Order: sequence, then C-alpha cells, then structure tokens
Amino acid sequence: MPLSSPPSLGGEATPAGASAEKNAFDSDWDAGDLACGELVLELRLRMRKLNTGQVLRLTALDPGAPADIPAWCRMTSHHLLYSDPAAHLYFIQRP
Amino acid sequence: MSGKFCVSLTAAKNDTDKATVAFVVANAALGSGQETLVFLSTEAVRLAVKGYSDDIHEEGFAPIKQLMDNYIAAGGQLFVCSPCFKKRGLDETQLIDGALIVGGAKLVEFLSQGAASLSF
Repeated sequence: MPLSSPPSLGGEATPAGASAEKNAFDSDWDAGDLACGELVLELRLRMRKLNTGQVLRLTALDPGAPADIPAWCRMTSHHLLYSDPAAHLYFIQRP
Repeated sequence: MSGKFCVSLTAAKNDTDKATVAFVVANAALGSGQETLVFLSTEAVRLAVKGYSDDIHEEGFAPIKQLMDNYIAAGGQLFVCSPCFKKRGLDETQLIDGALIVGGAKLVEFLSQGAASLSF
C-alpha cells in the first residue's frame, strides 16, 4: 500500500506517545522468532526490495531485537521511524 | 585508536578460570579508560542469570560476582547472546542488572567502530 503521507525522517525512534497507526507502511513482515544474523540478513534483503523512502513494518519477537534493530538501522543508514519494543513493532524506512 | 575494547567470553562453570580472567581483563580495560563491552555467548550466557555466579570463586582471584558487579558499577557494558540464551531455556526476567540481551547486529556495531577484541 502506498504511503498516504511521508513520515518524518530521523535516525532514532519516534518519541513515546506516537502510535504505530500513525505510521504508514509499504511492506509488512512478521519475522516471528527469527533472531540475530538470520533476522538482519533477511531484513536487509527485504529492505533492498523497497524504493528510497518506502517503509517496512517489522514485527520481531526475539528479545535481542530491541537492541539489534536500532543498531542495524544506524549501521546501514536506514531510518527507524518508530519502534515499540513491547509490541515488537519497528517501522523502518529505506534511505 | 578507537578507545573501544571487547572481551568475548564463551565459558561459565565449565571453565571458571577462563570466565574469571575474562572479567579481570575487562575491568583492566575499563580501568584504563576504554569503552568496554563483555559479550557473553554459548555457555557464558548463564553468567547473566541472577544467582548463577554466586558460588564461583576461582583460586587466586576475586569471586566472579564481585568482578562482575564492579564491572557493571563502573559502566561496563554486558551483552548477552540472544539465541544462546533462548536455546538454554533461561529466564529473561532473571537477568542481572546491567545485562542486555542482543543479537549479532548490536555486537557488530560495536566491533565495526574499531574495537580491539580479545576472546576467552
């Protein structure tokens, strides 16, 4: 589904108070329990399929994901638009 | 020099000598002004569970719990391999203070910033 409105850019997650519903997304991936190297390798492949500015909504249950996903975004210059570790949700925008 | 130092540890009660020395070295790095990370993987993840290390006291060294407590109190980072922790059926709610469950990306980020690394 196309973005209805471009989300704001930023290297870090949206501050507390924002809701996931406010974030539009172009692709949706439930990674389930996938973890560590398998998670980020598959994430890389999925982000590559998006165009610049498009957003992936990721659901990741692994307890390492709250630390890993922001780290991966910093290393690969992706924008973590929003995250809610308690809900296992991450909105990632391709640069 | 990046000022970052990583100690990778894979042993717990199966090799208390190795586990203890890893934290001695980590404290040396921290005491030398390095931003220090201890990465616990495979058996070593058990050290991140409350109570596990209480009875480990290798001859010639301080008890490992004291070494770990001092390390955390001084600002040392302690990463715990997520899949290693999960496969052993350990309880996330029983993590010691200062420990953080991570996957590979968090470790890679630290190392890729030019950290020196030493493995036990």
